Amino acid sequence: MVQEQHRGEQEKRSRFFINDNIDILREILKRLDGPSLGVAACVCRLWCSLTRNDDSLWEHLCFRHVSTASVRAVVVALGGYKRLYMVCVRPVLSRLGESERVRRRAWTRHEVQLSLSLFCIDSYERLGNGRIASDASTSSLMFLCNTINV
Amino acid sequence: MKRERMENANAVRGECASSGEEKKMFEEEENEDKLLAGAGYKVCPSDMADVAHKLQQLEMVMEEDGISHLATNTVHYDPTDLYGWVQNILNNAPNYTSTISTNINNNSFTPSPLINVPENDPRAIPLPYIEAYPQIENQNCLKRFKSSSFPCSPAISSGNALPVVMVEEPGVHLVHALMACAEAVQLGNASLAVGLVKHAGTLAASQGGSMGKVASFFAQALARRIYGFYPHETLDSSYSDMLLMHFYESSPYLKFAHFTANHAILEAFASADTVHVIDFGLKQGLQWPALMQALAVRPGGPPVFRLTGIGPPRLDDADSNALNQVGLKLAELAQKICVQFEFRGFVCNSLADLDPSMLEIRAGESVAVNSIFELHRLLARPVEIEKVLATVKRINPDIFTVVEQEANHNGPVFLERFTEALYYYSSLFDSLEASVAASSEEVLVMSEMYLGRQICNVVACEGEDRVERHETLGQWRGRFSLGGFEPVHLGSNAFRQARMLLALYAEGGEGYRVEENNGSLLLGWHTRQLVATSAWRLAPGELC
Repeated sequence: MVQEQHRGEQEKRSRFFINDNIDILREILKRLDGPSLGVAACVCRLWCSLTRNDDSLWEHLCFRHVSTASVRAVVVALGGYKRLYMVCVRPVLSRLGESERVRRRAWTRHEVQLSLSLFCIDSYERLGNGRIASDASTSSLMFLCNTINV
Repeated sequence: MKRERMENANAVRGECASSGEEKKMFEEEENEDKLLAGAGYKVCPSDMADVAHKLQQLEMVMEEDGISHLATNTVHYDPTDLYGWVQNILNNAPNYTSTISTNINNNSFTPSPLINVPENDPRAIPLPYIEAYPQIENQNCLKRFKSSSFPCSPAISSGNALPVVMVEEPGVHLVHALMACAEAVQLGNASLAVGLVKHAGTLAASQGGSMGKVASFFAQALARRIYGFYPHETLDSSYSDMLLMHFYESSPYLKFAHFTANHAILEAFASADTVHVIDFGLKQGLQWPALMQALAVRPGGPPVFRLTGIGPPRLDDADSNALNQVGLKLAELAQKICVQFEFRGFVCNSLADLDPSMLEIRAGESVAVNSIFELHRLLARPVEIEKVLATVKRINPDIFTVVEQEANHNGPVFLERFTEALYYYSSLFDSLEASVAASSEEVLVMSEMYLGRQICNVVACEGEDRVERHETLGQWRGRFSLGGFEPVHLGSNAFRQARMLLALYAEGGEGYRVEENNGSLLLGWHTRQLVATSAWRLAPGELC
């Protein structure tokens, strides 16, 4: 009789599947760092679409302690947090030597401002890209993408 | 045979040769010079004892340490003069104590064999810095000097000693050639200048690296000055736009200028509801997205943002469409981030043509005037700078941000300007090369072209055409104080942000430096300061 109870409980437990509870999944993914989010995107189609399309996941990554409504509005307007992370935040952090502790660090106001400024300039350049330069490689953020000789 | 033994002595196997020489000397004294002459060496019989003595010393010195590099690196100007070159090698040896107290350095300097300065060469120029080499008794030896890296001493006047700091050893000769040419140009010696500029061009082409590139630009500019091929295109065009974009991308100078100026403007606009920025040189409008974004995230919401952009007439743009295009782009961005935006563009030949009434400054708005690398152009006609400062005073802005090159390229003497410019642009090119390290070649080349145009203007043009009349922060400060302005200190926030920006560029801690000087920020490469940002407002009691 005890064994039947155990089996019953086991069946109940195995019925919990994370993909059925997307809000919990989202809460978990929000707390991941950049590389882990990238790995998460490779798990299955649901996770992939979540990480790609849900920008709020990346918001926590970017300005974990400093995000306000106005910042959010600006970032969303300029291209979203995922883009902000890819284009500005990740290279800025790695250049400033903090890549190992990305997950746990708190942003300073200056870093926020700097990243936002660079992001804004990048968006601005992309607005009229065809007119200024014939090739899309002219971007003021190129210097962030290139490796530096250390 | 004896020659071979002499050459063996040169290659550090001098024992047998010198001893052989000594034996011969004592045996047949009167005939020795003839025998040596047969081998190609000219030695007087009276010097024979000395020569033998020196050879003995040489043998002792060479036996001690492995200083065979002396044999190959020491420069001899007259190999037939046996006495001379033995003395030469001995002088260059580190352990040799001679009666002459000179600065002996282990690093030997090998000048290029092209510039040989024997006394009867008509191209030898009695320039102050060659004579500043300390002379030793044998004139055929070229003295070595200490070569060290930065900082460079900026100016050479005829009273100074030699500038002992150069970028790298082979570059020394290149720099000398350029300076000699500039001096010839100043003295009006056309034939000499022509020869020297060709020589400098050849040296520059073979030099390579940032030194070679900057030297080629200078040599080209000198050639233009000599032959009178003045560059005629000074107006903007899409080509110059592209050069600017590449320069913006490859180096932090423009970004530093924009970010620090924006910081000052933001602080001045702290709680205003309507702000009006007057930009003396709109170009591509790259400064303003960052300011708009900062205004957008301001606690309390963004103010109404008015921008008046001023630009010169353009080559390919008769209707001044380009300015409006920039305005449209900025408006699009402003709409995205929900900042109310107004734009007005003005095309004028010179900033002095501007009148405050054109700008339609409304009551109750905070005004900022911004000038990035624009004011120095006005110095070509002295009246203009005063007129512009008077205009700014009538505008009465809350802040007047000025960014200028930190160099004196406006002195009255051509040679001094040339020297100053050479050191300044060498530092710039050096920094470009270091920070564009892994990026595309095209970006580097375009950025260098952008600077090359400035070099051409500084060196080749004169009078009203020479617009790149850079002056130092101290000089600008004097002008502004006389004009009735007082400085506004850029705070430590600006300093920290600038430092963070620079950390994103080359080499972490090395390379770019930000310094604060009485409230102004200076960006430099290693120890050479290159760009200065300062902020000003009307001194109390100066309202007119």
